[in-house]
Amino acid sequence: MSRHQYAMVMDLNKCLGCQTCTIACKKLWTDRDGTQHMYWNNVETRPGIGYPRQWDHIGGGWKDGQLQPSKQPTLDDYGAPWEFDYEQRLYEGKKKPVMASPDPISGPNWDEDVGALNGDDNFYFYLPRICNHCTNPACLAACPRQAIYKREEDGIVVLDQERCEGYRYCIAACPYKKIYFNEITGKSEKCIFCYPRLEKGEVNACAAQCPGRLRFVGLLDDPNSAVHKLVHVYKVALPLFPEKGTLPNVFYVPPFNPPKRTNYGKSILEDPRLPLEYLIYLFGPEVKSIIVRLEAELKSAQNGTSSELLQLLIGRDAETRYQIRPQLVQIQSKIGGHS
Amino acid sequence: MRKTCTPLFTTFLAALFAMGFVASTSAQQKLAKAATPDDRSGLSLSSADATTPVQTLLNPLAGEWTKIPSHRIALNRTPPLYDTEAPAALEIPYVDVRLARAEGKLMVQMIWRDATQDTAQIAKLPSAPYEGRPHKELTEATDRFFDSAAVMYPQRPPTEGVWPSLQMGDTSQPVTIYFWNSARGAARMEAEGRGTTKRTGESFPCQATYHDGTWNLAMVLDNIPSGMPLAFAIWNGSQQDRDGRKYFTTWLKLE
Repeated sequence: MSRHQYAMVMDLNKCLGCQTCTIACKKLWTDRDGTQHMYWNNVETRPGIGYPRQWDHIGGGWKDGQLQPSKQPTLDDYGAPWEFDYEQRLYEGKKKPVMASPDPISGPNWDEDVGALNGDDNFYFYLPRICNHCTNPACLAACPRQAIYKREEDGIVVLDQERCEGYRYCIAACPYKKIYFNEITGKSEKCIFCYPRLEKGEVNACAAQCPGRLRFVGLLDDPNSAVHKLVHVYKVALPLFPEKGTLPNVFYVPPFNPPKRTNYGKSILEDPRLPLEYLIYLFGPEVKSIIVRLEAELKSAQNGTSSELLQLLIGRDAETRYQIRPQLVQIQSKIGGHS
Repeated sequence: MRKTCTPLFTTFLAALFAMGFVASTSAQQKLAKAATPDDRSGLSLSSADATTPVQTLLNPLAGEWTKIPSHRIALNRTPPLYDTEAPAALEIPYVDVRLARAEGKLMVQMIWRDATQDTAQIAKLPSAPYEGRPHKELTEATDRFFDSAAVMYPQRPPTEGVWPSLQMGDTSQPVTIYFWNSARGAARMEAEGRGTTKRTGESFPCQATYHDGTWNLAMVLDNIPSGMPLAFAIWNGSQQDRDGRKYFTTWLKLE
């Protein structure tokens, strides 16, 4: 058990699907050799096939104390980027237009904004995902070389590039498929929760760049942090697929808006735009009570009562959303934190 | 001295014995004798002194190899690493090994049948920093594993007949591993127990060819003295072999 635990809460009601977080992360961490298919932070449309595709169906995680088997995602599952046939630009309007080359067959967020039907109405929402920096990480347990460790000082799960031999048991074990294989280095890689930034008092790049201001970052054990309040005090944030048993430290405020045009006077659960069963699939049965509570807070605020919870969720400034505490987290040397 | 190794036969007999097919015979007594730690007469490998240059024997198909006795060694599959993992099939039942001493080196030839050639040309990590470099090398696949082979031996001669753990040695008896990966080349490694394998940063000469469903591999090892135990391992990429998920032999005494 780590002495402190950094955590992130993402309010899915505020995500625009703009991918600014994805690009911030990509530019900072995975613009290297062998990393073209990696998005340590990705934003996928839900319902959808996800990234890597079908990651929520291919296995991993814990069941009855046992690591569950899983397929290794292929490069097509990640949807590696494609190039364009730029020579065709000279013929634009005459022959063929500039085409992707080779023909793309998949990509991250390939099914962008497709969503699904709920009755006659289409619905979708965005799900940003990073490594969950779990309290009971399946990846760590699966590695026979102890290349993955959880930093004692702040609970961030990192992968030692010196020890990794690229066996990829961790990729299979992670039920969220948030570890990636770099074939050029022959080693696996993952989100490092921007620990070098946190150590300097800067928030994670994905959070810093988010125009929707939907991310909250802080120590889960810091009673003054927004993440602590949202998870443990207001209890409006849940982990993704809690039944996978890894105890994630990334939490989501479930989406419950916007109301349908025709549902004036009805509660959001009577005539929801987003089918409750789908939210239960993602976040477990507790999601229902959270939606009821959030709707009550919203109604109360609409009636003129101030809501501390909604003010916190609005999170107008960085001071409200982020409580980075390098002074609380005494950085251990690598040897001290990892034997 | 030429001595033929018979572990495959021994394994076969042991299997028959376990199934109750072999009654109390001299073979059984022989098996019981072979199981005592001090008598490993059934588990030994001969090496031949070769006058052929190392450079010639580095070609695993060199005709000179055929003059050296071949040992057919039974391969075992490691059990699944996790309880939820299905056991792997024994697709490669044996490896043929020849050992030759030339120019103060121990030369090893390994030949095994493998229906699939699992290898690739992988771009080298450029030495120039990636920042500002427009072209980055690309990951071609994320789910492939490559055929590999290794020879392991203890770093110090075993004392009192106690051989190191077959699982990558142990702290009192560290091992050296000559590891060849069909896509990533040769690497000299050291270990003192399972999960402790470390790359030394050194390589070693080796050559491999694959044709007609068969891998032929030649390695140049240090001058390992007689009496030392050797163990061999083979990884089959198409069976997703890596790490301890592999084929392995028992320790075999180098005569």
